[in-house]
Amino acid sequence: MSKSLVAQLPTGPAEPAQRVPTDWTTGAMQGRIRRRYAAERRFRLMGLAAVTLSAGFLAFLLATMLWQGIGGFTETRVTVPVDLGAAKLAVTPAQLDGRGADLALAGAGLEGIVDTSASRAYGKDGDNLLSGGAWLTVREAIKADPSLLTRRATFDLPVASPIDVAYKGKGAPEAEAMVARLTPRGVLSRSLNTGFLDSADSTDPTRVGIWGAFKGSLLTMLVTLLLAFPIGVLSALYLEEYAPRNRWTDIIEVSINNLAAVPSIIFGLLGLAVFLGTFGLPRSAPIVGGLTLALMTMPVIVIAGRNAIKAVPPSIRDAALGVGASPIQVVFHHVLPLALPGILTGTIIGMARALGETAPLLLIGMRAFIAAPPRGLTDPATVLPVQIFLWSDQVDRGFVEKTSAAIIALLVFLLAMNGLAIYLRNRFETRW
Amino acid sequence: MSNTPPKMTASHVTVHYGTKRAIDDVSIDIDQDEVVAFIGPSGCGKSTFLRTLNRMNDTVASARVEGDIRLDGHDIYAPDMDVVQLRARVGMVFQKPNPFPKSIYENVAYGPRIHGLAQSKSDMDGIVERSLTRAGLWAEVKDRLSDSGTALSGGQQQRLCIARAIAVDPEVILMDEPCSALDPIATAKIEELIHELRGRYAIAIVTHNMQQAARVSQRTAFFHLGTLVEFGRTSDIFTNPRQERTKDYITGRYG
Ligand SMILES: Nc1ncnc2c1ncn2[C@@H]1O[C@H](COP(=O)(O)OP(=O)(O)OP(=O)(O)O)[C@@H](O)[C@H]1O
Ligand SMILES: [Mg+2]
Repeated sequence: MSKSLVAQLPTGPAEPAQRVPTDWTTGAMQGRIRRRYAAERRFRLMGLAAVTLSAGFLAFLLATMLWQGIGGFTETRVTVPVDLGAAKLAVTPAQLDGRGADLALAGAGLEGIVDTSASRAYGKDGDNLLSGGAWLTVREAIKADPSLLTRRATFDLPVASPIDVAYKGKGAPEAEAMVARLTPRGVLSRSLNTGFLDSADSTDPTRVGIWGAFKGSLLTMLVTLLLAFPIGVLSALYLEEYAPRNRWTDIIEVSINNLAAVPSIIFGLLGLAVFLGTFGLPRSAPIVGGLTLALMTMPVIVIAGRNAIKAVPPSIRDAALGVGASPIQVVFHHVLPLALPGILTGTIIGMARALGETAPLLLIGMRAFIAAPPRGLTDPATVLPVQIFLWSDQVDRGFVEKTSAAIIALLVFLLAMNGLAIYLRNRFETRW
Repeated sequence: MSNTPPKMTASHVTVHYGTKRAIDDVSIDIDQDEVVAFIGPSGCGKSTFLRTLNRMNDTVASARVEGDIRLDGHDIYAPDMDVVQLRARVGMVFQKPNPFPKSIYENVAYGPRIHGLAQSKSDMDGIVERSLTRAGLWAEVKDRLSDSGTALSGGQQQRLCIARAIAVDPEVILMDEPCSALDPIATAKIEELIHELRGRYAIAIVTHNMQQAARVSQRTAFFHLGTLVEFGRTSDIFTNPRQERTKDYITGRYG
C-alpha cells in the first residue's frame, strides 16, 4: 500500500481563551450548596416518614387483629362429671363399632344425660352453661373408649357462647355472675379450639369453624389462578409480540385498561348474568366465584405482563433472532423468562385483590349460610372475606372474636400466597 | 478477486422506513473468502444495509426492502426462503455487545442447541470450546463457563457474541461496528480474530474507524446519504479514491 490518505488526529489542543476561573466560595455559591443539602435531607426525611407511617399502620392493624382475634382460636371448657354407668344408656358395644354409633348414642338420649349432669353439678341453669355441641365431645370420647359407658367420668366440655365471652372478659351481667361463681371452683379452663380450624359455619359461635371458608377460598383462588394466569400471560405475549398495531389492537388495549378499573361488583353482576343465568352453573360454587374473579384478575395480569415484556431489552431479541431463533423460540426462551418476575408481581397484586374480594361473590350467591366445607368445585361454598362479612353482621357477641380470628386466617392465607409468589419470582429473577 | 461466484450479491437494493428512503439503489457483492468493510458518516444507512443481508429488517414494521439479494444464488427474500435458517447461515454481531443473561456456556450453546447441531453433551462441549477458542476468549473463561455472560467486560462480551455467532457455523458473518465500545487492546484482539476467521467465512463489517477498515478488509464500500458512492479494493479506496466525496471522508475533511 502506498501512502495512506487516512487522516491523522489533530495535534495538541487549541489555545484556550482567557477566562475568569469560577469562584466556588462566594456566599451565593455556598447558599446554593446549603439549599441543595437541605433539599436532599428534606426528601429523605419525607420518604422515611412515609415508610414509618405505613409500617406503623400495618403494625397497628396486625396487633389489634391479633389481640382481638387470638381468643377466637381458643375455647373455654368446664369440667363436668357424667355418670354414664348410672345413666344406663341403651347402647350395646356392637352398636358402637359401626357407622351407626352416632345415631345410636343420640337415640339413647346422650344429650339429655350430659345436660342433666351439668345441672346437677352447677345448679338449676347448669345446662345453659354448656355449648349446644358439648355432648358431641362426650360422644366422641365414648366412641374412642366404650368402657366409659359403665362408669363415672369427668369431661372438659365447651361452654356456651355467653359464658365463653364472659370468661374471656367482656360478657353480659348474668354470664359474668356465673363465671364469677365458677371460677373459684377451678372448673373453667381454656384450650385450643380445634373445631375452629376444621369445621364450617354454624349458628352457634362456639361451634363455628374457618375451614369451610378457607377451603372455599382455596378452591376459588385455584380456579382464578388457573384461568387468569395462562390467559393473561398469553394475551400479554400476543399483544406485545404478535399483534399488529392498528385500530383494533388500540381498542383492545383501551378496553383492557378500562376493565382493570371497573368496580368489582360489576364483575359480580356479569358473573350472575353469564355463568349462572346463561350457562346455568350452580349458585355459590367455587367454580363460579373463580370464573368471576378470573375476569377481574386477568386485566391486571395482562397490563403487568405487557409492561414486563416491553421492558425486555430489544437487543436480547436481536441476539436471539441473530443466531436463528424462531419468533416463538425468542418468546419462550428469552422474553418470557426475563419478563416472568414482572408478570409474577402483577399476578401477586391481582390475586391478592381477588382473595380479598367480597362484593362480586355476594352477587353469585356465596353469601349463603353453608354449614359444611365444600368437597369440590361445584359444591356450595363461601370464602374468607364473605365469611368475615357475614360474621361481623351477627348480633351474638360470640362472633366478635371469631370475626377477628377469621381475619387472621385471611391474612395468613394472603401471606402464604404472596410468600410463594415472591419465592418464585426470586427464583426466576435474572441477574444482569 | 477470485473466479468463484460471490457468496452474497445485492443488486439495486432500496430500503424505506415508512416513506423515508434509507438506502437507495445499492449493489454490492461479497466473495467467499474476503472481508468487506462498510464505511460512511453516521446515519448514511450502513446498519440498514447490513441488516437487509440477513433479513433482520423484517422485525422493523415500517421497513420495506426492494431489490434482489442472493445467498449462493438463492433469493433470500423469496417466499420459499426460511428466515430462521437464513439467519443461522448469515450470522450477526451487533454494535453493542448483547450476551444473553445466561451462563457463558449457555450463550454459546444456545444456537447449536436450537438447530440440533450437537448430538451429545460432549459434542456440545466441543462446539463451545472451539467457538470460544476461535473467538480468542477460551483462555480467559475456561474456568468460569457457568458465570453469567453479562458479568464479562465489554470486550469479552463482544468476543462472546462473536463466539455465539460462529458456534452455529454460519457461512457469512455480519458485524455492525463490533469494536465501537472497545478499548484498543480488545479492538486489536477482534481485528486479529477477523484475520483468522477470514477464508472460513465471508465477512461484512461496518466501522467508523478508517484504520480498522484499512487493516482488516480486502474491499471497502463507502456509503453516503443512503447511496453507495464507491466500492472497490481497500488499497485503492484508501490511497487513490476515484470520488472526491470518498477522499474528503477518509481524510477527515468531510462535513
Ligand atoms: N427503525 C427505524 N425506523 C425509521 N428510521 C430508521 C430506523 N432505523 C434507521 N432509520 C433511519 O435510517 C437511516 C440510516 O440509519 P442506519 O442506522 O442504517 O445508519 P448508520 O449508517 O448505521 O449510522 P451509524 O453509523 O450512526 O450507526 C437514518 O437516517 C435513520 O434515521
Ligand atoms: Mg449503525
